[in-house]
Amino acid sequence: MALYNFKKIQPVPSASDFLDIVLSKTQRKTPTVIHKQYKIGRIRQFYMRKVKFTQDSFEDKLKAMLEEFPKIDDIHPFYADLMNVLYDKDHYKLALSQINKARSLIEEVAKEYVRLLKFGDSLYRCKQLKRSALGRMATIMKRQKNSLGYLEEVRQHLARLPSIDPNTRTLLICGYPNVGKSSFMNKITRANVDVQPYAFTTKSLFVGHMDYKYLRWQVIDTPGILDRPLEQMNTIEMQSVTALAHLRTCVLYFMDLSGQCGYSVADQIQLYHNIKPLFANKPTFIVINKIDIARSEDLSEEEQVKLREISEKENVQILQLSCQTDEGVIDVKNTACDKLLAARVEVKMKSQKINDVINRIHLSEPQPRDDIPRLPFIPEAAIGRQPYDKTDPKRRKLERDIEEENGGPGVYNVDHQKLYILQNDEWKYDAIPEIMDGKNVADFIDPDIAEKLEALEREEDKLEAEGFYESDEEIMDSEEEEFKRAADEAREKKKLIVQAHRTNKMMKNRPVMPRTATTKSLEEIERKLGEFGIDASAIRTRSQTRSRKRKFDESVGDAIVREESRARSVTPVNIEDRKIAKMKKRSEKIHKTAQRQANLYARAGESDRKILMKKPKHLYSNKSTVGKRDRR
Amino acid sequence: MPQNEYIEESIRRHGRRLDYEERKRKRAAREAHSAATFAKTVHGLRAKLYNKKRHAEKIQMKKTIKQHEEKQATKKDAEAVPEGAVPTYLLDREGQQRAKILSNMIKQKRKEKAGKWTVPLPKVRGITEDEMFKVIKTGKHKTKQWKRMITKPTFVGEGFTRKPPKYERFIRPMALRYKKANVTHPELKATFCLPIISVKKNPQSPLYTSLGVLTKGTVVEVNVSELGLVTTSGKVVWGKYAQITNNPENDGCINAVLLV
Repeated sequence: MALYNFKKIQPVPSASDFLDIVLSKTQRKTPTVIHKQYKIGRIRQFYMRKVKFTQDSFEDKLKAMLEEFPKIDDIHPFYADLMNVLYDKDHYKLALSQINKARSLIEEVAKEYVRLLKFGDSLYRCKQLKRSALGRMATIMKRQKNSLGYLEEVRQHLARLPSIDPNTRTLLICGYPNVGKSSFMNKITRANVDVQPYAFTTKSLFVGHMDYKYLRWQVIDTPGILDRPLEQMNTIEMQSVTALAHLRTCVLYFMDLSGQCGYSVADQIQLYHNIKPLFANKPTFIVINKIDIARSEDLSEEEQVKLREISEKENVQILQLSCQTDEGVIDVKNTACDKLLAARVEVKMKSQKINDVINRIHLSEPQPRDDIPRLPFIPEAAIGRQPYDKTDPKRRKLERDIEEENGGPGVYNVDHQKLYILQNDEWKYDAIPEIMDGKNVADFIDPDIAEKLEALEREEDKLEAEGFYESDEEIMDSEEEEFKRAADEAREKKKLIVQAHRTNKMMKNRPVMPRTATTKSLEEIERKLGEFGIDASAIRTRSQTRSRKRKFDESVGDAIVREESRARSVTPVNIEDRKIAKMKKRSEKIHKTAQRQANLYARAGESDRKILMKKPKHLYSNKSTVGKRDRR
Repeated sequence: MPQNEYIEESIRRHGRRLDYEERKRKRAAREAHSAATFAKTVHGLRAKLYNKKRHAEKIQMKKTIKQHEEKQATKKDAEAVPEGAVPTYLLDREGQQRAKILSNMIKQKRKEKAGKWTVPLPKVRGITEDEMFKVIKTGKHKTKQWKRMITKPTFVGEGFTRKPPKYERFIRPMALRYKKANVTHPELKATFCLPIISVKKNPQSPLYTSLGVLTKGTVVEVNVSELGLVTTSGKVVWGKYAQITNNPENDGCINAVLLV
């Protein structure tokens, strides 16, 4: 919206506050604990950091300040001149340059002391150097007390300046004090400027906004100007002169012919002539205010001539209004706005930029391609229709009329039900329950339900016709079940295998007995194979055939009697057992001796070759120095 | 958009809130209490700062009170002493006053006379070589230890050229070389930043003098041509002695007092 936002400038702290802010920041954000037994490098670094940090925070704050305050050479000449009038350009620039100088001085101090800190050889010396560095920075800042105070005042005033956009459509009201400038301003905008019956009520520029022709207009109310040379004008008057000089506006020069303001008509005309150079190239009007008291016709012949002279010679229109009676206020506003708009368009048309825009605009004027008339289409029913006329006794009957006939609003309810579009007209007034079986009926209403149901039934019929429902469902089911069960089993198994593998892994590559060395019972083998779905009966028979004695009755039944076999040599069982026990004992012994070494070094097994810390620090060091070792 | 003095304008138009004055009065009345609570609870550095500030304030307060009281107190006019017969014990009132001033003057003169041949800092703390010099190890295996670096600020004359580094026994670091000193003129009570011309004497040892070490108590020659001092014969003085009054290695600057 506004071209410049002076409200955004951060508050400028006073010199002592500034120091508090920066030094407490240093205290908060840098380490605070240091001891003299620390390495000197660390001590130096600790204090260097403090110095540098302080300088950085000074730098940040001052730089922000310098960037935020507007540079007089960069801003719009109107604001530049206004600032010059209000705050004195030299003073302002000097204050900013002093701040800038302080910034560079602080930087130099920091640099110097960081360099000195590099030669600091004790905590005390480093601390003293840091202390004097911060002290010198603080002194530099303290000297800026006046500049900071001045800048804070400027900031506060800048933030309260009216936000005038120097380039937009603007009406500017000027004239002698007390001629009714502010009253007019209050009439056409909502600015709510103070109006009092004494001179110089308005002490600075005021801006208000209004709408005309869907555009936003800016109205600037200026303090009154007295008829005297520019050098003698005070700050209040200079503000109006600045606005007059730098803003491309429509100037409304206000005059009070009644003499209520305390200045004669001749004086006012004289002032007009004196400040005329400021109106050059601007649409200008002379506005005669307070016409409820005195109009231009009431003036003496001489003065009337003078007024007319102005209007004729300089092509300045004279307008009349009264803020008291509101006579002519709107007229003045509209005329002024129209003229300014025309002037602005004219200026724009003359400028170079317009060519860029104008070649993009194309105004199309379609030519008729043939002689066939293409008239607008009006429906038949609409043609004969009478326009509704309230006074006509034969007019169409509206719902409103029916309502009136039946006793007016509150008594009669407008009948909406008669407009329902239903299959059967009889249904129109049927009572529809809102809640049914504890359910809201509205939730279950589906306008297409009949259609959907029909579609569903059709599909069902079709499926039935195709024989979709005749398939052997049950067989499929049992087969599927079987399949599913098997799959589940397989999954379970897989899980078990994974688990087993994991427990195996936890053995950490310890030696494992080979599978072939272990014995497994027949039952176990059977079970296992059974799990895999392999028939283990062959194994059983094989093992049985070896161990089983042929029973007596088996041979009895046989037709062919085999001749007696040779008796087999059989080792006595007890000898075998003894041997096994001996071997077992021996193996156990071997096992134990083999484990001895591993147990000694707390090994997990023979494959555990981990080397832990050979010389743990806590066992090999103490506080004794060289040459005292012999005592231990 | 609020513009110009909108706050004052609003107050003028609508007034302040009704209890504004009362709140203001109450806040002022409570101020002592809140300050007391703060003073009781604050600790650490903030307490130190606060107490210092409060102390200064109290002194100021007492002074102003005293001034007011003095204004109110009736003073005896010296001329209002009745002429003529006066009891003996009242005879010498004025003379006594005057005598006191005289004795002060005499003391002052004596002091000045005594001061002419002494320096402001007659005694200094001894500085060992360990503190003054840092041993620098040199050589390929860092075994040679004959080089020294001076860890205090030094003054190095303008035309000084370093010896070749191979033979340089004393190193005076660039960062610790000073050219200027803040010299206070004891009579003018003004301080000037003056260039140092030479080191006259370092009380620690002649070696330090020759090396130009600046420590507390060192007498240096400063260029006082800026001050425009003139000798009795009318010549402009440009070299004068001054004694260093601070520890330059701790402060990063040299403060000296002019010997007059």
